[in-house]
Amino acid sequence: MAPMEVDRADGRTSNQLRPLSCTRNVLHRAHGSARWSQGDTIVLAAVFGPKAGTKKEENPEKASIEVIWKPKTGLIGKVEKEYEMILKRTLQSVCLLTIHPNTTTSVIVQVVGDDDRPELSLIQLEVQMIIKNNSSIIRAFLALRITHVMGLRTPQLLPCAINASCAALADAGIPLKYLAVAICCGLTGSRSVILDPTKIEEKVFSYSCMLYLLVDYFNCLDRGYAACAKISEFLRRSMESQAPSDLTKTT
Amino acid sequence: MNSMPSDSASMSFVDRVVVPGDHVLDLTGMANQTIKLGAGLRQDGDAISVMKAGKLRISKPNKYWVESSHKRYVPCVEDTVLGIVVDSKFDNFLVDIKAPMLGLLPVLAFEGGTRRNIPKFEIGTLLYVRVVKANNTMNPELSCMDETGKAAEFGPLKDGYMFETSTGLARMLLSSPPCPILEALGKSLSYEIAIGLNGRVWVNAASPSTVILVSNAIMNSEFLSAAQQKIMVEKLMKRLQ
Repeated sequence: MAPMEVDRADGRTSNQLRPLSCTRNVLHRAHGSARWSQGDTIVLAAVFGPKAGTKKEENPEKASIEVIWKPKTGLIGKVEKEYEMILKRTLQSVCLLTIHPNTTTSVIVQVVGDDDRPELSLIQLEVQMIIKNNSSIIRAFLALRITHVMGLRTPQLLPCAINASCAALADAGIPLKYLAVAICCGLTGSRSVILDPTKIEEKVFSYSCMLYLLVDYFNCLDRGYAACAKISEFLRRSMESQAPSDLTKTT
Repeated sequence: MNSMPSDSASMSFVDRVVVPGDHVLDLTGMANQTIKLGAGLRQDGDAISVMKAGKLRISKPNKYWVESSHKRYVPCVEDTVLGIVVDSKFDNFLVDIKAPMLGLLPVLAFEGGTRRNIPKFEIGTLLYVRVVKANNTMNPELSCMDETGKAAEFGPLKDGYMFETSTGLARMLLSSPPCPILEALGKSLSYEIAIGLNGRVWVNAASPSTVILVSNAIMNSEFLSAAQQKIMVEKLMKRLQ
């Protein structure tokens, strides 16, 4: 059963991503920094470290990564803690933790742009974090979450933050196994996959549609991998620019 | 499913920018050869993969490394760095060298150093030191002597001005033949300079305006070519007169 092509609000096809932009070395005092934007969703990541010492509950045989998530507005609450936990697990699998044991690397993520649209009623979305080795397509799957969000949460912040933190870690010179790229896929009510949804597109058509067909799930994955290839190409090109705070843009 | 470009030789990646995760050398066909890996590379099973983003360099016949420029420093043996004293213990000074761990400078690692004439360094003293032991798991060990035991310019740096740059700029300043910016500045000004491979540079001159001029010129020269550096210095000299 072939899924239909969906008409999206801003005129994109279902496979088209928003314009990407990545600037590295934006912050003067941070050891590594990157500003990643996908359309109106902009995230600034700063990396400090490695610094000596770890917290008590961390393993001193490995480096530890500490993530601080700063929302655009409002106080820090459970949503931010959840983002921090997911980002920390993602970055822990990307970094080589045994190179500098007993050190702490801090990653601070600041949401700059959040796609400010009016609130939505219900969102049902699947956010996939996909890690790829840049030269060979090793499909390592990191985290899969099915999010039911009421109202304010923006699911495409997390992929944007993962991309920004990876670029910032590479800018700081932290040893990494590979670069991670992430993308957000949405499943519309009509069972077609749209990539990189904006906040306004996340309207669910029927609340009862909470079961995913396996076919839909794998369809989502395939589309996601293809899009991630584009993003990783973009990330590689942005690494190649030598000048400080050099701007690379693509659509 | 795997679409890895077959690297017949690693020549395809040499002198090009590589990102973490790139497999730059396939070891399956190189059974009896020794390969020396420098900064930024590690062995990942049957291939050499990249840890840091940068330019892959090769020194024939078998040395590979990734050249990259960052704000932090990874200690290597025999590097000369500028450290700042953070604390002094019974048998070590704790020195910050912009590395993941604090460096330890033994109290006796000075020319003619005995327990009776231990130097007294205040917190914040700038020292020109040499890295003696560097291991990822331990604090790097430093020394204010060279291999033969002489002082050889190591030790505290008095007066002057210290500023921080990236490690790439420090390596460029220390390259031989001498960096164009330092030569061009030296033709018209007289100044004293100490460059640490950890990205710290110390400049001293007779007048503060010379110190400021030299420091700003060096900081601005990071991404200029040799010709551009010379032009920049000429413009600065013209403005002085």
